[in-house]
Amino acid sequence: MDFRLTDEQELFVERIRDLMQKENWESYFAECDAKSEYPERFVKELADIGIDSLMLPEEYGGFDAGLVTVTAAWEELGRLGAPTYVLYQLPGFNTIIREGTEEQIEKIMALHGTGKQMWNSAITEPGAGSDVGSLQTTYTRKNGKVYLNGHKCFITSGAGVPYLVVMARDSENYNTFTEWFVDMSKPGIKIEKLPKLGLRMDSCCEIYFDNVELEEKDMFGKEGNGFNRVKEEFDFERFLVACTNYGVAYCAFEDAAKYANQRVQFGETIGRTQLIQEKFANMAIKLKNMRNMLYESAWKYDNGMMTSGEAAMCKYYCANAAFEVVDDAMQILGGVGVAGEHRVSRFWRDLRVDRISGGTDEMQILTAGRAVLKQYR
Amino acid sequence: MRIIACFKAVPEEQDIVVEKDRQLNFDKAEWKIGTYDLNAIEAGKQLVEAEGGQLTGLAVGGTALDSSKLKKNILSRGLDDLYLVIDEKAENADTYQTAKLLEASIRKIGEFDLVLCGAGSSDLYAQQTGNQVGELLGVPVINSVNKITPQGDKVIVERVLEDSVQVLEVSLPAVLSVTSEINVPRIPGMKDILAAKKKPVTEFTVEDIGAAYVQPTSLVLSTQAPEQAERKLNILEGDSEETIDEFVKLFNEALK
Repeated sequence: MDFRLTDEQELFVERIRDLMQKENWESYFAECDAKSEYPERFVKELADIGIDSLMLPEEYGGFDAGLVTVTAAWEELGRLGAPTYVLYQLPGFNTIIREGTEEQIEKIMALHGTGKQMWNSAITEPGAGSDVGSLQTTYTRKNGKVYLNGHKCFITSGAGVPYLVVMARDSENYNTFTEWFVDMSKPGIKIEKLPKLGLRMDSCCEIYFDNVELEEKDMFGKEGNGFNRVKEEFDFERFLVACTNYGVAYCAFEDAAKYANQRVQFGETIGRTQLIQEKFANMAIKLKNMRNMLYESAWKYDNGMMTSGEAAMCKYYCANAAFEVVDDAMQILGGVGVAGEHRVSRFWRDLRVDRISGGTDEMQILTAGRAVLKQYR
Repeated sequence: MRIIACFKAVPEEQDIVVEKDRQLNFDKAEWKIGTYDLNAIEAGKQLVEAEGGQLTGLAVGGTALDSSKLKKNILSRGLDDLYLVIDEKAENADTYQTAKLLEASIRKIGEFDLVLCGAGSSDLYAQQTGNQVGELLGVPVINSVNKITPQGDKVIVERVLEDSVQVLEVSLPAVLSVTSEINVPRIPGMKDILAAKKKPVTEFTVEDIGAAYVQPTSLVLSTQAPEQAERKLNILEGDSEETIDEFVKLFNEALK
């Protein structure tokens, strides 16, 4: 088995390292996190070296580079402390190109390379989380127009994106779920930003749609295909969450290792004590497991073999293993990890959120468990 | 403008291991492009972007240059093409030996307006090669160049001296060594990296360029890391006269 990256992938990872080293990004991230602001200046620099084009088809100026390349990029960014969770929307260009109308593609691609937030999808509602089928937002056709009504909640990027793809059901035909491409500057939309434990560089919002007037051309994808569209997307999103989690854990691990080799107590570095060594052995094993799992799944994705079960396993395992690694790192860092401005406390908050957002641990287990048993039916 | 930017493959500093006997171990070191050479390449790229022309990369060295990744790395920096002289003996060449090989390579490549070098190699940093190449080619040669402005068949260059800026008019062709402050080398993106493999690379042997090795001007007997000294751990606090006197006293003692 050849685990080596290609020259091109290795060079890209090296250039990510150059970008991360060229300034003290950590103080910028800490500031964005404290103010709950999207790190647009950073995302723009990533766009300049092509991060937002990695998965794009060549005819749209992309590199068709595949998920292994994305994994390698996410790994290095995460390892060096970058919040890759703010980049979830970047693979979203592919979704727009695949599903969108010409006009929708044009609107989103105008944001390509700018580092600006572009779109996200809005599914969750107060009464409909993982149980997407019970959502209440409706669209109603009247006098040649379409009117959107409802209440979405916990919508990631809701305060920063110019467009939202909103899942709604036909008020005339309750079993038809369709998505709508909504320009967020339209009248009738109210956005309330929610305070959040972690992942604060991206917003989390309640969004109200009160008779928002849309045209037929604002339909996203095919009528009645909303469910299938997002189901496919879930796998990808879950995989990226897992990559992000792994990168964060890697970063915390290295911070803790440097600290353990340098912090002296009772006349020797704490790394020489067995209780600390045990933590590092377990942390390293978890990192290795995450890494192997992610690269294998990415390789499968690139070869058309990744399944929903796989993505769910990646997300469940990595969110939890990464949280354990970061928690151990925090324990090793001691007071430094919980007081003052060490990034590990931000990582800890971020990872706790990721065991819920993008599909809870429990939903991942259900998906993974069913997928496993299905193979033996 | 026809510009040739010279560079050297050097071991990654972070990978060099200091052994117990203070010898340096390069076994685990990956070879990279000299840090200061990136400023020469960027300067060349900026001139070609502004004036049009062609930017060629040139290096002489040992088998470290014969790496597909290193070649793609240098080509992703905006070069139009690349020339390499690879010879095992060139691995430890001193500045004059290197300059002789570069001179022969440049004559083989043909016409040029500018040869650009970095301030020095990032391993030995002798800061000699650029000047020697200029002398051997018999063209004007200036080092410590902090700014290059083309003007017809000349360039106006600025050199930052201790308390003044020297402005010189240099006729072309010429050899210039640039400072590390002349620019901030841009970070190549995925597009540049993917484009690198499509660019032409020409590899020469020493015979191809009609060069012969000259005797080295010096011989390296050994390279050792500095001896590690125990920290004194003298910590003085405050800014009183006595504290400062004490500091000076300790400082002078340590220098003895």
